[in-house]
Amino acid sequence: MDMNYLELLKLASPEAIVVATALAVLAVGLTSKNAPVLCSTVGVLGLILAAAEVFMLPFNATLFHGMLVISPLASLFKVICLTLAFFTVILARSDRSSRHHGEYLALLLLATIGLMLLVGSEELLMIFIGLELTGLALYVMTAFDKTDIRSAEAGLKYFLFGSTASAFTLFGLSLVYGMCATTGLAAIAQKLVAQPLSPLLAAGIVMTLIGFAFKIAAAPFHLWAPDAYQGAPVSSAAFIASGSKVASFVVLGKIVLVGFGPAHGSAAWHAMVAGWMPVLAVLAALSIVLGNLVALAQSNVRRLLAYSAVAHAGYTLLGLVAGGREGFSATLFYTTVYAFTLVGAFGVVALVRRETGGDDFVNFSALWSRSPLLAGCMAIFMLSLAGLPPLAGFFGKFYLFSAAMRAGENHGLLWLVALALFGSLISLYYYLIILKVIFSEPALSEVERGHQNLEHPGQPRGRLREGGDFLQRTTVAVLAIAVLFFGILPGALLARIIAALP
Amino acid sequence: MPPFLFWFFALMTLGFGAGVIINRSPIGSALSLVLSFIGLSTLFLSLNAYFISVIQVLVYAGAVMVLFLFIIMLLDLRAEERRKINVVAFAGGAAVALALFVQVYRIIGALGAARQAFPPLRSGNTDDVRRVGLLLFANYNLPFQIVGVLVLVATIGVIVLSKRELR
Amino acid sequence: MVTLGDYLLVSGLLFTIGFAGVMLRRNIIIIFMSLELMLNAANLSLVAFSRFRVQPDGLPNYHAQVFVFFIITVAAAEVAVGLAIIVALYRARRTTHVEDIATLKF
Repeated sequence: MDMNYLELLKLASPEAIVVATALAVLAVGLTSKNAPVLCSTVGVLGLILAAAEVFMLPFNATLFHGMLVISPLASLFKVICLTLAFFTVILARSDRSSRHHGEYLALLLLATIGLMLLVGSEELLMIFIGLELTGLALYVMTAFDKTDIRSAEAGLKYFLFGSTASAFTLFGLSLVYGMCATTGLAAIAQKLVAQPLSPLLAAGIVMTLIGFAFKIAAAPFHLWAPDAYQGAPVSSAAFIASGSKVASFVVLGKIVLVGFGPAHGSAAWHAMVAGWMPVLAVLAALSIVLGNLVALAQSNVRRLLAYSAVAHAGYTLLGLVAGGREGFSATLFYTTVYAFTLVGAFGVVALVRRETGGDDFVNFSALWSRSPLLAGCMAIFMLSLAGLPPLAGFFGKFYLFSAAMRAGENHGLLWLVALALFGSLISLYYYLIILKVIFSEPALSEVERGHQNLEHPGQPRGRLREGGDFLQRTTVAVLAIAVLFFGILPGALLARIIAALP
Repeated sequence: MPPFLFWFFALMTLGFGAGVIINRSPIGSALSLVLSFIGLSTLFLSLNAYFISVIQVLVYAGAVMVLFLFIIMLLDLRAEERRKINVVAFAGGAAVALALFVQVYRIIGALGAARQAFPPLRSGNTDDVRRVGLLLFANYNLPFQIVGVLVLVATIGVIVLSKRELR
Repeated sequence: MVTLGDYLLVSGLLFTIGFAGVMLRRNIIIIFMSLELMLNAANLSLVAFSRFRVQPDGLPNYHAQVFVFFIITVAAAEVAVGLAIIVALYRARRTTHVEDIATLKF
């Protein structure tokens, strides 16, 4: 096979730029006196450059039998991943763990490379390595804050669940490889058409999906999520909830729709047929019910976001269960909008945490009177998650549910859609509780706030404004405007996604 | 490989594998793990995968195991004192593992291809290091470089996490 | 005669033993070792398939062996990161038992 380093470098130039940026950030962090500011600047510039480079790539190209695929879909999601990393880098400035800021940003950038490889690959080995690259970087980023005991614990739980899941995926992949004798997704699909679904192959597919169910935090493989969301540094949690999730859904969609496409089975009520669709449908149903019900009982904003993330993973799976171009585009639109919403929400959490020293409900009380901007943005994010018009979450859910309704004969997925609607109704309640806390409860007295700070020593006390905050506040506002914009004009994003799907 | 040798090494792999999870002391588990992997590497040998067999011993017995032992010594972990076993959790875990075993057994028993003998190989194919290497640097060049990035991530992560913070 | 099925059975059993260890043991270091068993079960089935899917030129399918090479590398990196997390945790909590870690509730 002809292989040319120069051509490889040309096609993988965005990834190469991000690697170079990561190394530069590392070097700057080690040598510079004013490290955090410089590191962030270098990181942000590198990400912008990489995103610009994505547009310079050829329209369609395939290297190494699908290990690196340049397609409109891959390019679009590479840009989305880079954008999410961009916002996360800015948010990371407000974290307290700034002692090793260079290393932290370098890991964030290296995790981004993993995401870019995931969305740009149609080959199992490459997908496995991309998953592991992202996973390892995120485990470290979760355990990064050594001043907080919960951080190491969250990292450990994330690591244990993640490694078990990747062992399952790997065993599944080895069986799929054994039965199909190939690792390219398209080639696997050809083999699956030719042979009936043998039990060994079915086992391989199910075990592969278990690993992905963990990545997207679908129940019952979600147990790591609440701890990681709550214990990790806020920016790490934001990236786990956004970038990692988007890339996982893109690659999961490619695996089930392209690779395992012929073995889809059916998830229709009373007409279940073995395949990956019923597996995903069961995961979706469990996630919607469990995520929403447990979220009701939370009193910490980050844990609540984690359980609501479980429920949202369930909604998003609906599009894949529906299948086809419409279902996949609905999944992609929803997960993208959701990712931007969550980065924004975690941005607000980061600022509130910095100001009050915590992220329980009590820390958010009367946020409105302290910072109308943050309160307004949080309202937009929460209402969008709840799915109220005219926000992006509403259109995303509408499109997702209608795609699921139209799929298959006789509205076979009606049971799932009904469940999802019921779940959305429950979720409205707990999102409104957050808003009630933000807008109506009286402010904490100074005494109480001081008490809060005693529990988390070493944190700034009740400081409202600070120089570094300006960028974060602007970012949160920009994200809120984006959520509003994609709700009013969803076509701006959706048309691109549909055009990018083959 | 004659069948009795296969079963001998298979039993060695599985027996010491079980030893890993039965042993009370972490050191005992670590040594069981080495023996289990030596059995496994012999099985690789019986499948004509000489290169993989050698790196299995080199990486696991040489590197990973030293790392495990090092951490066990560093943290000074002793044998586990008898703790009250959480019966519900234990029963649940055992049930899930048993269900997995039954599934695996049934699935592999039902596999038609499983009963076939391995097809014969061309004789004298002992240059598998060269062939694996050629594939690695031609077809799998990109993942090879990405694994380099992955090792960088692990290096940065390990240094940052295990460094003692100066107060 | 030793068949593909025998190797797959050993691989499946090894995976189950590893999974049982992850589910049943409470010592994190031993859980890590059990994870290694699970990963190596995947390696065994890949190598068995590599020998089973002989190429037209009479050689084993080396692609599967390359896959195993990558898995071994990744697994080693994963162990290193996991042990570093344990060290960080031990410095803070002086424990390597899952049950002792309950600051974050389920």
